[in-house]
Amino acid sequence: MTSASTLRARLFAPRWQPLLIPLTAVSTALVAGFLAMWLFGKDAPQGFALMAEHALGSANAVGESSIKAAVLTLCGLSVTVAFTAGLFNIGAEGQFTVGAITAAWLGAALDLPAPLELLVVTGAAMTAGAAWALIAAWLKVRRGVHEVISTIMLNWIALHLVQDWLVVGPLAAPSSNAQISLAGTVPVHASAQLPRLIAGSRLDFGIVYAAIAVIFCWLLLSRTVAGFEIRLVGAAPGVAEASGLPNARRTYQAMALAGALAALGGLLLVLGTEHRYPGTFRTGYGFDGIAVALVGGASPLGTALAGIFFGLLRAGAKGLQLVGIQPSFAELLQGVSVWLVSAPLLFAALFRKLRGARAT
Amino acid sequence: MIATEILSAVIDFAPPLVLAALGGVLSEKAGVINLGLEGMMRFGAFFAAAGAIWTGNAWLGLGCGLLAGAIAGAAHAYASLRWRADQVVSGVALNLVALGLVTFLLEALFGSSATMPSAAPSLPHWAGHTPIAFVSLVIPFVLHWFLTATVTGLRVRAIGEHPRAAATAGISVLRLRALCVIVAGALAGLGGSALSLSILDRFENRMPAGAGFMALAAMVFGKWTPLGAFAAALFFAFADALQRQLSLATHANDLHLAGFFLALPYVLTLLLLGGFVGRATPPAANGVPYEEA
Repeated sequence: MTSASTLRARLFAPRWQPLLIPLTAVSTALVAGFLAMWLFGKDAPQGFALMAEHALGSANAVGESSIKAAVLTLCGLSVTVAFTAGLFNIGAEGQFTVGAITAAWLGAALDLPAPLELLVVTGAAMTAGAAWALIAAWLKVRRGVHEVISTIMLNWIALHLVQDWLVVGPLAAPSSNAQISLAGTVPVHASAQLPRLIAGSRLDFGIVYAAIAVIFCWLLLSRTVAGFEIRLVGAAPGVAEASGLPNARRTYQAMALAGALAALGGLLLVLGTEHRYPGTFRTGYGFDGIAVALVGGASPLGTALAGIFFGLLRAGAKGLQLVGIQPSFAELLQGVSVWLVSAPLLFAALFRKLRGARAT
Repeated sequence: MIATEILSAVIDFAPPLVLAALGGVLSEKAGVINLGLEGMMRFGAFFAAAGAIWTGNAWLGLGCGLLAGAIAGAAHAYASLRWRADQVVSGVALNLVALGLVTFLLEALFGSSATMPSAAPSLPHWAGHTPIAFVSLVIPFVLHWFLTATVTGLRVRAIGEHPRAAATAGISVLRLRALCVIVAGALAGLGGSALSLSILDRFENRMPAGAGFMALAAMVFGKWTPLGAFAAALFFAFADALQRQLSLATHANDLHLAGFFLALPYVLTLLLLGGFVGRATPPAANGVPYEEA
């Protein structure tokens, strides 16, 4: 394949194609998971039925699945947007943490009327996440530091400063308890909490945030000049440079958006479910975002689909305990499907074999 | 007094970073990006501790950890060389598989989601340090000699810089690349074993807690050379030991300031990378899939 046709393929891929490989990978992983359960002597059909029930069986289950799906989608979008600009954002975890702590801090510190409070806190958390991500973009553009390295460092800096200083120090909830670190931060005001949408379920307004983010990213990347330029900078920086595009500015913009999206994911957990920054909070959602983006083929809509799928899988995996399988099974399937996605040629060979078998 | 304590801590805590960083150097010198170091270390750490428990012998446990890393390396080589997978994606996927699979195995085989029981047999201590500590002080020089003074080492560098030219000279690019990635996995696996058999006496589910990524940073910091990566890994271990000492000396925990000290090594690394090291050049064909003509 010549480089010109690669560039063309990257910029103008047919709309169905990005979904084909992820769907194949996910279903292959599910089949493999089913077989593995069966081989370990567990009741696999019963296990899958329980998984479906715990993912979708009740209002409560749907709520849990959607919370997970919304956060995973936002973290996935963060990685996807950066990917589109040719940046590998391993820093979603740190940006997520920065967004979460900003939401927890301002949600408790500010006391504004209901709709305004939520808007201000949301804006501030997204700005904080964007600023955190911009450090990596600046280091990349101005100092030539690879973003994979800088975002990893920024993850650890954010994590340690937030969890080992802010949460146990200045922002800690006042408590007579010696185990202060378990208490987390001061709870946020009711006006800063995301409104619940259905009675009897934790489904909240966060799902609307996630949907808006998906549509925004899709419109931006596929329907605007700025989005096209971001894609070009990612697919062929040399061409973009030669065409006089502002490469550095697009890099900053993409990374800022990536940081804001991951921060929004952190805000969802704090204002939606936890209502504070809890003392023990090690979610790994930022790293899951990498998996979501990869399985989603680094397109906004694919990312949303992958986020929903992994959200269902996470929530459903709780049901597996009833047939004696650990919930970490969901993470295992997630890893396997990413690994399958990484090798599309493997599928190409499989398809060829299947087609050949049918022809004879 | 404090100086000797810090030196001793560096010798104890550096091996996982040193070994994994050298694995990264070997793999990327041969032209295969290796973001899977974290996962390879995790497999190594788990199977080293499990092997020591199962066989009742710490040395055999070490062998298990090394082998597990090598198998993880082989998986990365298979996906990225045989199927020309995106090497970055394959490496990240390996990390995710390691995260899920090891947690799953820990729960299934040891009935805990947090930690394994302490491995009964432990490695011998020579002058207060385990053999892994001494080995990881020697291997960087061996790898340096291998890459600069042997014919095979020259070939490794050739397939990472210009695989087509190397193939024209009669080198089997894919086979040599696979070998390098597998040995890189073994090194990372050994580094992981150092976590669960040398630094601690058991496997904990949070391992390697980012050590694989720090090893990558050491590799870049060291400009893709064995001795450079070695020095960078030692620097990270030194910053970490210094951070512990400072934190203790200032009673940071009581003042809830431990976070500043914990973040210090990473801040230092960013400052150094951004300020002094300048642009580092990876091997020219790093990450470019090779198709046999």
